Amino acid sequence: MSASVLTPAETSTGVPAGAGRPPRFNWSRARETSANQLFLVPVALVFVVLLIVPLTQTFYWSFTDFTGYSADVKWVGLSNYHKVLTDPSMLAGLGFTLAFTIGTAVLITACAIPLAVVLNKKFFARNFVRSVFFFPAIPSIAILGLVWGYILSPLGSGVLNSVLNSLFHAGPYPWLSDATLARLSVIVVAVWGGAGWHAMLYLAYLQSIPADYYEVATIDGASARQQFFHITLPLLTPAIVISNFLLMTGGLKVFDLPFTLTKGGPGYSTYTITQSIITSGVAQGRYGLASALAALFTFAVALVAVAQLWVSRRIERRVL
Amino acid sequence: MRLRRTVAALASLALALPLAACGGSSGSGGSSDGKLTFFSWDGEDTMKPVIAKFEEENPGIKVEFSNAPPVAEYISTLQSRILSGTAADVFAIAAENKTNLINGKHVVDLKDKPFLENVPKFNQTTYGGQDGAVYGLSVASWGAGILYNKDLLAKAGATTIPKTWDEFLALCHKLKDAGVTPYLESVQAMSTPLSAFLGAESAADGDSMDTKIFDGSAKFKDYWVEPLTQWSRLWTEGLVTPAVVGLTGDQVRTEFATGKVAMMVAGPWDIPGVRKAAPKLQIEMAPIPGIDGKPPYLAGAASPGYAINAKAKNPAAAEKFLAFLDTPEAMALYQKATGAITVTTDFQPTLDPALAPIVKDVREGNIYLPQIAWKRAEDILNVEATAQLQLLVQGKASPEQVATALDIKLASTS
Repeated sequence: MSASVLTPAETSTGVPAGAGRPPRFNWSRARETSANQLFLVPVALVFVVLLIVPLTQTFYWSFTDFTGYSADVKWVGLSNYHKVLTDPSMLAGLGFTLAFTIGTAVLITACAIPLAVVLNKKFFARNFVRSVFFFPAIPSIAILGLVWGYILSPLGSGVLNSVLNSLFHAGPYPWLSDATLARLSVIVVAVWGGAGWHAMLYLAYLQSIPADYYEVATIDGASARQQFFHITLPLLTPAIVISNFLLMTGGLKVFDLPFTLTKGGPGYSTYTITQSIITSGVAQGRYGLASALAALFTFAVALVAVAQLWVSRRIERRVL
Repeated sequence: MRLRRTVAALASLALALPLAACGGSSGSGGSSDGKLTFFSWDGEDTMKPVIAKFEEENPGIKVEFSNAPPVAEYISTLQSRILSGTAADVFAIAAENKTNLINGKHVVDLKDKPFLENVPKFNQTTYGGQDGAVYGLSVASWGAGILYNKDLLAKAGATTIPKTWDEFLALCHKLKDAGVTPYLESVQAMSTPLSAFLGAESAADGDSMDTKIFDGSAKFKDYWVEPLTQWSRLWTEGLVTPAVVGLTGDQVRTEFATGKVAMMVAGPWDIPGVRKAAPKLQIEMAPIPGIDGKPPYLAGAASPGYAINAKAKNPAAAEKFLAFLDTPEAMALYQKATGAITVTTDFQPTLDPALAPIVKDVREGNIYLPQIAWKRAEDILNVEATAQLQLLVQGKASPEQVATALDIKLASTS
């Protein structure tokens, strides 16, 4: 280091000012920091008790023959993991879980953004319409599943089949009893249930976009389509990242909706990984095996979430 | 530093709390001599009068009641309580948890207890173990057969209830030709007709069918292919829509009660709902018609039994409670609340007349349900069987493939 680039904090001897002397401890700042950190204790406790402890126990049990009835377990090494990876029925739900996750993420995003744009405009009874679209997010998905079970009943007396018959003399269609239609039905109901909630998320972001951008674009002669693709969509990128992160993690863990609609059938066509974990653990008393599947699945979901965030952040940086 | 230590101490405490709950003491939830804890499968409305009568007759004992609805919630709650050492003195043992409870030695052997004298052998062996051990006091059974809408049958010119499967299929054809939907059953669980066919098969084989399958001297393929073939004629002959794989039992019952279908699979629990929805409907229940010259048979099983916790705090009171539960007065209260087909020999239940054709067989234990009769891996096989039956109904699997899938699944659990 040459003398010409010495910083003001350095002396002519080249030794930083204050070196060799311990910095003075600021008691008042430490007290303030401690007081602030104390507020984190309840959250940390909840996090530890409800997440870290069960997760640690799950990892431990995945190496044992735990049945759920006795803590007296035998160490079985990696045999549960071997069984999970070699027993086709354990991974029977993988295909539909992935299809559901990708299908709902794409469709909900495709529906929620235009819906949010429409709901952001001024029109008569706008708040009422907003609440109507938000409503499906309020009741439990399990209840919605039961109601949709009657709507999509594959018999001629089912609600949807009756409507199709009276309007077009068509059907009855086996909505929940044909493998392909059952998969589609579950995804469509999930989109119906989730689009409104995600539209509200986009709406919140839309309202933070300054109106000036649109005014300038209008003066410059940009069409509504150009404004959407060159102003709205890029500025919604942070919302798209959050929404898709929630959709991906929620979709991978899905259980209640397919279970109430189809119980995983016909065959294993709408079976999910979470259903496999719950069935193996709770119903069949194979907690060791279910824990191994859960551990692998947790790792896979974490990997997907991190990868998705990484890709999304890069896109976000490029766009904004 | 001090803060860090405090946080670390709190985190350790948080870690220790659930672990302590898991480790726990070896005792149960009961404590004093006069308190008996009881965790029930039935709701409070059902058990309250029974408990009140017991407390009246045993003034020194106070029953602390808790319950969880069947099946999954009850099973998981009981399992958590057993694991944490807080299970009640008396709880229900069911088909779904009997293997874990018995193998884990969590329940007391009731063999030779005087209160079992009233209980048929069938109900005792359902919750039995090796060397004649009996782990549950089961005081009721259920049987499922076919419920007939006699008005619709009469419209199609049918006057008698079929005794053979061929006659039943002929009746289905007749009803279909008359423009009536002949028959519906939900295929979201083990099939009732298939269970009955297998029950008749097992009875003809000296009740050794499942023993042979599970000791490896026979395979599912040896016994299941013909019953599966006969059952699947409902779809191969175009009599029933494959859409039934997407129907719940409630949806089937609604179709029946509204007069849209002439016959449905039903158990005693369906009768009150049908009566309420269609009070004037002429109905009759009958066993599933037989195949291959075998007699009509019923699907069914012993109801969950009452078991005594191996670590009960008050085993003497628990035994008194079980002894009370199969007395005629307790049976009368229980039967009134549930409408169940009780089986104790000194009490005759009052039942809906529509059930008359099945009551005798149910009480004598002439009923069969595969997932109860199987010796191990019951739920694993049941999940696989249900999925395979749905594929069979849709024409995506043959009877041989279904039976082979069960053989493969059984082999994977050994």
